[in-house]
Amino acid sequence: NLHTGQYYTLPAAHIQKLFPHGLPPRFQLQIKTFNEGCVMVRPPALELISYLKKADYSKPPLRYILYGDVGTGKTMCLSHALHYCYTQGWLIVHISDAHLWVKNCKELLPSSSRPSRFDQPIQASQWLKNFKITNERFLSKVQLGYVWTKRERTEKGQPLGELVDQGVNRMKSSSDVVGAVLRELRLQAGGATEGEGAFKLAVAVDGLNALWGKTSLKKEDRTMCEPEELTLIHNVRKMMKNNWSGGAILTALSQTGSLFKPQSAYLPSELLGEEGFDNMEPFVPVSVSNYNEKEFESCYLYYLDRNWLQHSHSRSEEGKKELIFLSNKNPSILERLCAFL
Amino acid sequence: MAASVRHLLKPWTPSLCLMRWSRYNPYYLDPDPSKDARVPESELSPEEKELQELKTVSPIKAALSSDTSSAFNDPLISKFINMMMHDGNKILARGIMTQTLETIKRKQVEKYHKSPAAKREEIECNPYTVFHQALENCKPIIGLASVQKGGKSYQVPVPLTDNRRRFLAMKWLITECRDNKHRRTHMYEKLSQELLAAFTNEGNVVKRKHDLHKMAEANRAYAHYRWW
Repeated sequence: NLHTGQYYTLPAAHIQKLFPHGLPPRFQLQIKTFNEGCVMVRPPALELISYLKKADYSKPPLRYILYGDVGTGKTMCLSHALHYCYTQGWLIVHISDAHLWVKNCKELLPSSSRPSRFDQPIQASQWLKNFKITNERFLSKVQLGYVWTKRERTEKGQPLGELVDQGVNRMKSSSDVVGAVLRELRLQAGGATEGEGAFKLAVAVDGLNALWGKTSLKKEDRTMCEPEELTLIHNVRKMMKNNWSGGAILTALSQTGSLFKPQSAYLPSELLGEEGFDNMEPFVPVSVSNYNEKEFESCYLYYLDRNWLQHSHSRSEEGKKELIFLSNKNPSILERLCAFL
Repeated sequence: MAASVRHLLKPWTPSLCLMRWSRYNPYYLDPDPSKDARVPESELSPEEKELQELKTVSPIKAALSSDTSSAFNDPLISKFINMMMHDGNKILARGIMTQTLETIKRKQVEKYHKSPAAKREEIECNPYTVFHQALENCKPIIGLASVQKGGKSYQVPVPLTDNRRRFLAMKWLITECRDNKHRRTHMYEKLSQELLAAFTNEGNVVKRKHDLHKMAEANRAYAHYRWW
């Protein structure tokens, strides 16, 4: 609580490894412009990190849901907490935006292994590539425990890295590879012996409401697809259940990418729907709101320090009051305003 | 039937009265939205005192909805936005302008942070000063007018008013960006490239200004054909 409002610099090497796809596009632009990636330390992120420190990892994982109005900083808090997990040496499973998997899909193949399921080879192989970049040191350590018999063969005892490579190279079976990888990680997270084999699993999903909402994808006979029928979504839903142990599930809701939800909806019950809420219960809700006085002050000083607020009026007292009025201390609106001032 | 005939008898008056486009009587004054502190009476010269008197007494035209009283309002930028506007879509034009300013600032701030401390002071990061300076660099000093004499029309070098110069600079910038750039780039990218080039006196618009000056210099002999 002493650190709220102060800016925490993410080391550049960590950003490249941990977030190949994870950060919001405007924040990536900001990193490029200022030559450094700085996240403001805020109460929701501190709360999450304190829960992660105190949790008992022999029990099933706790599910944390970050919710709040549009543009208040849910994705940033999630990234901050995820970076903490990375520094502690956890294995990271990060889905940067689940909404991208339920809309605008160019190729929707019927699944090779199961009828009435649909595969998304491009999204699945993209995710596997990112997973490989993030968790490189784990790929050789984690051993496959049993045979995975699909049309392609993978023998017992092969390291996880080979499985991931196979998924990246062969696009057709990449969605099934994703499912297998997730199942492996679930089984191995808590159950492994101490010493080298043990690791903690952090599952981070942004845009959680995509898993239980509607899709905008159509099947070949022009009927709407249900999220249940997509292999990727089905596998991620299995991860969300707390029937494994030795990790944590961090999620954030998002209205901006969601389909068929009104713009005023931001509470978990509204965005997740009945089915989603029942599946995710019980969870720990963490609310994210606009900046308070101290945080706004800190953001303003950071922009001044980085030479970002150029207009002479914005550096005066009255200009600051105008900025507060125009943005209502909403982080994303303030960022967009200061961009051209 | 009586009702439909009745409306032909009374004179037609428009139901909407657009204040800004109606012709104002010349004694109407222009609105000044800025929040200036009132200078005390003693420091004003007699003309300015007269102006102040007029302002209290005479009527003032309606203010445009795009003018704000905050100091962020810039008349040059508003004029440029109006010139870029197409079909009255001011929202799009203003969006492009803000994106342009943002891109200019990003490029300059990136250069600033990557350069060593010695060179940092020379880099101009303020997009507004870059815009004003670039526009100044694009304004032609002298223009050409077509004058007919003895059956033949000659291009005569002619002085330009301030408004005309400003208009020409903005027009050249916009047409250059619309026509001569790669099809797939966004307008704000094209504009920011042109503005940054004009800021350092490079680029196609400044070249066009120089071409105009050379033509005027070449046609010096015809300067006497001007009678105004």
